[in-house]
Amino acid sequence: MSVAATQATRLQLSHFGRYAIFFVLAVIYVAGLAVSPAFAEPNYILNILRQITPVGIAAVGVTFVMILGGIDLSVGAVISLTSVLTATVMAGDVANLAPAILLACAVGLCIGLINGIIVAFSRASPFILTLGMGVAVVGLTQMLTGGTAKGIVSPGFREFFNFRVGGLLPNLAIAFLLLVAIGLFIEKATIFGRQLFLVGTNRATAVLSGLAVRRVTIAAYAISGLFGALAGIALLARSGVSSTVAGQGLEFQVLAAVVLGGTTFEGGRGGIAGTVAGVLVLAIAFNLVNIAGLPYQMQLLVMGFIIILASALYGQISDLAD
Amino acid sequence: MAVKTVPGRFAFDRDGILILPAATLIIAALALPAFRDPANLANVVRQAGVLGILAIGQTFVISAGMLDLSIGAITGLVVVLSSALLNGDAALTLPVVALMVAVGAVIGMLNGVLLNTLRLHPLILTFGMLSVLQGAIFSFTDKSVGRTSAPLAMLANGDIAGVPWSALLLLVLAIGGHLLLAHTRFGYHLMAAGGNPESARRAGINIERIRFAVFVISGVTAALAGLLLAGRLGTGYPLAGNGLELDAIVAVVLGGTLLSGGRGSIWRSLAGVLMLAVLSNTLNLMNVSAFVQMFVKGLVVIGAILLNQPRRASS
Amino acid sequence: MILTRRTLLALMGTTATTLAIRSAFADQATDTAQTAKAAETVDTSAFKKSGKIKIGVSAGYLSNSWVVFALQHVRWEASKHDVSEVIVTDAGFNPAKQVSDIEDLLRQKIDLLIYWPVDDASVANVLKRAVDAGVPTVQAGGGFTDAPGVTSNAYISQWKLGEMVARHLMQDIGGKGKIVAMLPIAGTTAAVDQLDAFNTVAKEYPGVELLSAEYGDWNRAKAKQITENLLQRFPKIDGVFSPSGQMSIGMAEAFDEAGRLGETVFSPGDEYNGWLKWAATHKQGGVVTFPTRAGQVAVQVGMDILAGKPVTRGVAVPSVYVAPAEIGSLVAADRPDDWWASQLPPEFLPQ
Repeated sequence: MSVAATQATRLQLSHFGRYAIFFVLAVIYVAGLAVSPAFAEPNYILNILRQITPVGIAAVGVTFVMILGGIDLSVGAVISLTSVLTATVMAGDVANLAPAILLACAVGLCIGLINGIIVAFSRASPFILTLGMGVAVVGLTQMLTGGTAKGIVSPGFREFFNFRVGGLLPNLAIAFLLLVAIGLFIEKATIFGRQLFLVGTNRATAVLSGLAVRRVTIAAYAISGLFGALAGIALLARSGVSSTVAGQGLEFQVLAAVVLGGTTFEGGRGGIAGTVAGVLVLAIAFNLVNIAGLPYQMQLLVMGFIIILASALYGQISDLAD
Repeated sequence: MAVKTVPGRFAFDRDGILILPAATLIIAALALPAFRDPANLANVVRQAGVLGILAIGQTFVISAGMLDLSIGAITGLVVVLSSALLNGDAALTLPVVALMVAVGAVIGMLNGVLLNTLRLHPLILTFGMLSVLQGAIFSFTDKSVGRTSAPLAMLANGDIAGVPWSALLLLVLAIGGHLLLAHTRFGYHLMAAGGNPESARRAGINIERIRFAVFVISGVTAALAGLLLAGRLGTGYPLAGNGLELDAIVAVVLGGTLLSGGRGSIWRSLAGVLMLAVLSNTLNLMNVSAFVQMFVKGLVVIGAILLNQPRRASS
Repeated sequence: MILTRRTLLALMGTTATTLAIRSAFADQATDTAQTAKAAETVDTSAFKKSGKIKIGVSAGYLSNSWVVFALQHVRWEASKHDVSEVIVTDAGFNPAKQVSDIEDLLRQKIDLLIYWPVDDASVANVLKRAVDAGVPTVQAGGGFTDAPGVTSNAYISQWKLGEMVARHLMQDIGGKGKIVAMLPIAGTTAAVDQLDAFNTVAKEYPGVELLSAEYGDWNRAKAKQITENLLQRFPKIDGVFSPSGQMSIGMAEAFDEAGRLGETVFSPGDEYNGWLKWAATHKQGGVVTFPTRAGQVAVQVGMDILAGKPVTRGVAVPSVYVAPAEIGSLVAADRPDDWWASQLPPEFLPQ
């Protein structure tokens, strides 16, 4: 084969890799339709969207970190903490709504900043750092609440988010889509976004070319923390009451969604569009398991298989494209 | 390896981390008479047994530059299977032990094969394996099943002349692991493969075979840990292994081993395990609430990371 | 990592197939047998102690409000006796840790052990060791446990609770209709007994059909999510069997958001504050209590044991029914949802 031809094939393959997840999404949606006609109803789809919103929002934030080649395992703990904080500050009073949300966002941002600063200024492994941070935050959350879920949600808070515009589109889903749009904008249309990819692809080169790598790193983790807080607020909106450990274990679902979407651990590739598709694939997969009457632990098995299959596929594609 | 120090001399950036476990132990021993009680010390060691065995296995994995997230699930599977098969029958102990070790080895082999052929990131692969195994455990049972046999229970809970059996087991495994890791060609190649895979490959080291072997070791240690844990619990509790993989990784890191690979020491990892156990015990003795304990544990992990910086010019 | 109930929830759920051991607590006959066994007297002479008492509490978990309240009841009752201290350990839903915790407590020379297990079978051995060492053990708040390591129980019969809830639901729906059941963590005594009680009662009402039994793991958000799926699957649901108030709230919200709250009747829940508020507002449902004062009863039984008084193997902490109309007195409107109606004096309420 001529050089040009092989290069063309490689390009095609890498494009295929980037869009593979959307193909998978389409396939699994069709599978869903085959299993249950309810998948054709917009109401049903929007419901699924609502259910997966907290994971989705957190996944958008974590995507930034992973494009960089890092990882954020503290996001589940952040969700729990901010969920509890929001409810506590609200204390059942509408007037407290704004301060509550602001405080939660500030806390998430702070935790993200701390993560980012430590990762940027030391050679600490983000894996173990964010893991430790997660443990500390969970402990903190428990300390603050003493084991009971504190706080009362403001009247109208839950209702607002679950209110359906035009009888169809829940406000929560709109909020999710809005955040996705913001994330996409940051990723594709800002210099910061491009810098993320540069650093993720080759850190050494980025440093040598004068990129403010540290600043980019800190910003990425801060965003992840912020989105974690937003996810916590979304979780509160969905369930109406805070729980001290609501977010626990979610970091792995988030991770699965991000990796599924094409953003791998090596960094330098992927993106939010893929993440959203990954989130939807997971959501539909879980839902299918539910609908088909299969037991809950099958969800775990399914998630495990999907992750392995998807990653293997990406690995093969990137091999062929190299 | 990048750190140029005189072997044997204390170099702060490499050995500074060990101040943590040493300090914890000394402070506990000095400040709390209850801690010094031999019965308490025996308790601490007994309680650390399972994690200790897992940390030994994970040391191999991390030294090779990888992570194995499936060990908790393997442990859990072995806890359930061994209890269900034994159902209290002491005569079946040896065959069941052998079978469980085989199970651990097979899962490890599966991990190794999948890693090498599918070229997955170890984190993803082992996470997927963890999910699959957990699903499998739950399809088998959702509540405690079976009973472990008396010999295993004795191993986990009993002692000989005041020294817990599990401590002896741990010591034996640790010595074996150390010899394998630090004094054989396999161990040397492992470190090379973990530290710089490309150079190692060029030097003729078979990276795939090393990784395969490492996963088998990881699986076998997980199985042994599962047998011990079953002895501790007395029954096959399906969720017994949950979260253990992360604790093992934390223990190894606390001992100063870097996640980037190429370095690792069984004794350091055991120091990490000991530190976690001593910390937990001391806080319990001081009646600190479990919530605060969790917070402290997180801070300790973060602190350990900060204290333990790799000295490399480029990452 | 941290094993909390919620982590459990993420992992557990319905089992379609198990090679499961049949639960020992599965039906009315067993419940009757349990009640008989519970009435047996225990010889407490070996445990008699005088002087200041040290109580050890081994909590299998402290991460939900019910057990937090139960613990406060323990502290309250302890304050009324000659107790030098109450040492509490939290196993964080890790049975191996609970074994270690009890070992640690024994080493600290406690005189009485109150506990609620993560998993009964896993702590059976260490409890036996406690009893052999002369420390009586009292199980608080779970189902009746008959084992050599358990001296006595302050137990709640999930079967009787489930039966009361089912009967009232049958009454309220007029004896016929399609029902969905929401149960706690699959495999637990509570889940098994509640479902069995429902099925037993339902046999008397041939017009009643159980559409689906789901496991919400005592998690409001999860119950809500499951209910959303149920609402999609079943076009008409006449009644909801849900003895757990916090799950009932999640379900009620799901019905409400689907605009189908009017088509269904809710069974009584427990005295979870969020549920109380809802039931009082909507004037339906009512309450069959899941008394957190089991903690108090456990200490009372324990002190009796230490005094050498005869006690029975199990002291039932009975559930009582409260009609919707009377809920007003139980509701604590200014408290969060995650709160339980109780008689705790203000200084012992959780902070």
